[in-house]
Amino acid sequence: MPATPSRGLPDAVCLRVLMFGWEFPPFQAGGLGTATQGLVKGLVRQGAQVTLVVPFEAGASDLTALRLVSAARSMGAVTVHRIATPMTAYGGADAYLTTLEQARLGGVPTAVYGRNLQEEVERFAAVAGAIAEREAHDVIDTHDWLTFGAGLRARAASGKPLVAHIHATEFDRSGEAVDQGIARRERHGLASANRVIANSRRLRDLVVTRYQIAPDRVDVVHWGIDGARAAPGRPGGSPFPAGDPVVLFIGRITRQKGPETFVQVARRVADHVPNARFLMAGVGDFLPAVIERSVALGLADRMHFAGPLAGADVDRAYRLADVCVMPSVSEPFGLVALESLRNGTPCIIPRTAGASETIRNAFKVDFWDVEEMANQVIGLLRHPALRDELNRRGLEELGQPRFGLDEPARLTIDSYRRALAGAGAR
Amino acid sequence: MPDVCFYFQVHQPYRLRRFRVFDIGEERDPFADEENRRILERVAEKCYRPANALLAELIRRSEGRFRLALSLSGVLLEQLAAHAPETLESFQALVATGGVELLGETYHHSLASLGDRAEFETQIALHQAALHRWFGRRATVFRNTELIYTDALAPAIAAAGFRGVLVEGADHVLGWRSPNHVYAAAEEAGLRLLPRNYRLSDDVGFRFSTREWDGWPLTADRWAEWIATSGGDSVHVFCDYETFGEHQWRDTGIFEFLAHVPEAFARRGLRFVQPADLAAREPVGTLSFPLPTSWADIERDTTAWLGNGLQQAAHARVYRLREAVLAAADPALTERWRRLTTSDHLYYMCTKWFADGDVHKYFSPYETPYDAFVTYMNVLQDLEQRLAVPEAAVAG
Repeated sequence: MPATPSRGLPDAVCLRVLMFGWEFPPFQAGGLGTATQGLVKGLVRQGAQVTLVVPFEAGASDLTALRLVSAARSMGAVTVHRIATPMTAYGGADAYLTTLEQARLGGVPTAVYGRNLQEEVERFAAVAGAIAEREAHDVIDTHDWLTFGAGLRARAASGKPLVAHIHATEFDRSGEAVDQGIARRERHGLASANRVIANSRRLRDLVVTRYQIAPDRVDVVHWGIDGARAAPGRPGGSPFPAGDPVVLFIGRITRQKGPETFVQVARRVADHVPNARFLMAGVGDFLPAVIERSVALGLADRMHFAGPLAGADVDRAYRLADVCVMPSVSEPFGLVALESLRNGTPCIIPRTAGASETIRNAFKVDFWDVEEMANQVIGLLRHPALRDELNRRGLEELGQPRFGLDEPARLTIDSYRRALAGAGAR
Repeated sequence: MPDVCFYFQVHQPYRLRRFRVFDIGEERDPFADEENRRILERVAEKCYRPANALLAELIRRSEGRFRLALSLSGVLLEQLAAHAPETLESFQALVATGGVELLGETYHHSLASLGDRAEFETQIALHQAALHRWFGRRATVFRNTELIYTDALAPAIAAAGFRGVLVEGADHVLGWRSPNHVYAAAEEAGLRLLPRNYRLSDDVGFRFSTREWDGWPLTADRWAEWIATSGGDSVHVFCDYETFGEHQWRDTGIFEFLAHVPEAFARRGLRFVQPADLAAREPVGTLSFPLPTSWADIERDTTAWLGNGLQQAAHARVYRLREAVLAAADPALTERWRRLTTSDHLYYMCTKWFADGDVHKYFSPYETPYDAFVTYMNVLQDLEQRLAVPEAAVAG
């Protein structure tokens, strides 16, 4: 690791970060919101000041949709600006048009928004430039392609160095059915940033090969999790008959997350563990197909769909389960793995997930290997000693600093400092 | 000036192949034949053959003054006979020099000493038969799997005809006493205990190639000096045979080091003795091992094999099957079951320090200890179904 430069740079205690995020609790659809929140919390604990700008889905709440920038909410060292927009964190170009149309039909004035996703990203970027001129900062941090344009505008306005966090690429989200417009913005943002932070070694390798980013400009900072909330144990009031083991899938029900693999695994497991229950929590465009498939495989009375969960319900779902299966085709990090361990639930994760690089006490599997996943699930359901050992060791492991919020924040600040030290040379 | 006793352990297990729950009842062979063969050939090439040739040469050149002891597990000998007969011949040639004492152990390198006393005795007898078959020898000194020893084992070991046992010179057992003596067993006054000097053994077994170690680079001269000045009557240096060429690669200089040992030791006036010589000596005192002690890890206990719930469940289940296996009187099934008693299967399930990544990982064919457990339990389930063991007898 390069030495941390310090000459002429602000100390961590007064480092001011202007951050553009994708989503932020309480309005979120995936792990990125949780990860962003964790990062901000960690940065503040390290003494940094953070001004966070996040898109805010128009029409999703009673906040005035027409305002370009919502009233900034200040929480001590953190200031949050929510920019109303029909953009959603995981939606593509089509999802944007749908949301825009729904907002219009719902009576929300939409004339201010871009006519398509790319136009809206431009508009978001323009707003960003205005904020950058107003908010004092030392470094700009952005999260994934949707905000890269905003970061570049902000840099143009303030002249401060830009750090581009990459949490997932268009190739992860869409396989080979890549939206070239998005890929272009992704590449441009990463190539223009002063430094790039990837959330796994695998993702770093991906941006290096797919986007020709120089490897020495990319730092790897794995996501952490707020361990303070750990409180494993069975919740009361299970919806399932006592003694029926529960196998959990939690996440967006989209191609990327492998929900159809989960249904196939469920079929194999059900043959050997007749009272097993399968719980799918989440929504997404694959949901109808997944429901049809599970009915076709004779799992209608064993497969349970919980819809999207939030807050305490998420932890409850983990604790109801005996095992959590993550069959994602692509999973740059996979926060589900950390959440599962935190709730004392053993998990099966894809070998290629970023989380596999840091977690040892979990089953690792190839995302397509239905037989092996079923073998592991059945092993876990049949042997209490195996569940107990994984619970115990998983929680113990999660207590290590690399899974907390402070170490990732420290590594992020190191990366900011490298950006600050190198900015003059660009 | 103390005498020096070298003993090296030679063992390779029958590793399991990937055996899923769906393989149960499908008449599949649970052992990874190809992988086992590949590893055996690799270790034979990197370690066994060159080390055998070198030791035989050193024994000849010293005109018998350089002597040592080996212990070869039965499952290793079997595998050599099947897949590397020329390597087995090189062991036979080494033993034929007259400079090598062979030690007794459990044929299957098992934890039968802690699992089932009758099985322990059977596997010792099987191993003696193997030594007789392949070397025309009978062992008079015993070393249990991983140097596991506790007072309660002494009567069975003595009853099997052994005069001495190799044990770990663990600090918690020795206290202020030196490992460099011959001791008497607490429960069996006629049985001699030879405690391993773990510091001087680990200088070669673990630290030899560690550049951060202040003893690096270790020369035969320097090591001879340390041994000569370590006091006592006899220094017992025990380690894995795979130290030479496999754990410590050839390019670390381990073979050159070994080649200089006889000369360097002779210059210091150090004499080589074998375990049987030492077992005939008068003890300086009595050592008691109230709890099972081994040569593994810092703890020197049995937690590397029986430290967690997975290992305890697997260990209990395999020995619970013994009666049914023997009742079935099917030699192939009996042999399959005995191969499952090999301690390595439990070692792969070790979770202590797993989160840190450590020495255990290097020796495991599994990605995680949990995969090791699932595979092993599937294989046991398959065996149970072949035996048609009633569910109630194996529950838990």
